[in-house]
Amino acid sequence: MKETKRSLIIMALAWITSLFLVSLVGAYYYTEFQKEKSANTAYINMYNNLLKNYTSLLQSYTKLLNDYNSLAQSYEAEKQNLTYWLQQYEAEKQNLTSLLQQYESCIMRVNICIDYGNGTILWYNQTIVPLGCNLLQATRMVALVNSTYWPAYQASFVDAINGVWNKGAYYWMWYYWDKDSKTWKYGNCGADLYVLSDGETVRWRYEIPNYA
Amino acid sequence: MKCKRVAVLTVMSAVCVGIQLTPRPPNVEFTSFICFLTGFLFGASFGGLLGALTMFINGFLSPWGFAGIIMPFQMVGMALIGFAGGIYRKLLGEGSSVSKALNFESACLAAFLTLVYDIITNAGYAILFNLEIIIVLIAGVWFSIIHVASNTILFGAAFCRLVKIVGSLAGENL
Repeated sequence: MKETKRSLIIMALAWITSLFLVSLVGAYYYTEFQKEKSANTAYINMYNNLLKNYTSLLQSYTKLLNDYNSLAQSYEAEKQNLTYWLQQYEAEKQNLTSLLQQYESCIMRVNICIDYGNGTILWYNQTIVPLGCNLLQATRMVALVNSTYWPAYQASFVDAINGVWNKGAYYWMWYYWDKDSKTWKYGNCGADLYVLSDGETVRWRYEIPNYA
Repeated sequence: MKCKRVAVLTVMSAVCVGIQLTPRPPNVEFTSFICFLTGFLFGASFGGLLGALTMFINGFLSPWGFAGIIMPFQMVGMALIGFAGGIYRKLLGEGSSVSKALNFESACLAAFLTLVYDIITNAGYAILFNLEIIIVLIAGVWFSIIHVASNTILFGAAFCRLVKIVGSLAGENL
């Protein structure tokens, strides 16, 4: 083969080679470009979605923040209100405590028993009555009492308690509890003459009096 | 064949296999150069055989691992390069002297043959993994460019000198 022809063929082969390689590089760049393009589209979509989500989140956050601020303001207002009412309550409590102390110094507690003589016995324990209260007044606090004042004796006589009237030989008699002997003892005066003391226990009994 | 030629051929084969199995940068190799040179000096059949043998050994002992199903493709590709060396010698004609113009021609041939080798091996890869060959070629374009460029430079820089040196060792006066 002539030198020129051979050289031309070989150069043509080299040219084909370089062309082929350049085509491959072009194809490589094209595929990479397509890949990047599709990735870019995916990223754009992702970014748009993200932006939407972010905007939505931001709006929710702003709303939440407003709600929170409103709630915080309400809380502060309520707190001030409650503080005010707490102060009022404390003042009122002190006032009431003071009143209670004053009240406690003016009252006493007694235990009153009403025995109807038929098996019905009612107890009114820890009945609060004014200091210096007599038995008749104390009984009126727990029951409906009918009484008659006898000027000759300067005392009242109990006619009925809670609608149960003295009848025949049956009368309402009263007793007081003797702490020393631990027995009931007959009252020796009219109920309105007997002044009760704090913590005392008294009893009314519908019975036939036993004077003996 | 003269003893000298047999000895040189043996050395060429040993060098070829030795360098092929030496760890080196990917796609930078001297096998095709040596096979082409062998084909050029000792004939197309020797070049082709050396190429096939080297890639066969390389298939099992390569520092990159077992070649697997690509090995036959590598063998064919490298045999083609060795064979092309012999054909090229025939094209030059008897009594032709080695001139510097051959540097350029061999470089061009190296580029073409390396590309053919890459196409063959990539075809093997495509068959192995059931892929489109063009996709494989595109994906491996940078490896091909490195391969083609390194061989082009190597052939262009060293072919003529080595032909003279090895030829004189073998008793040829080129």
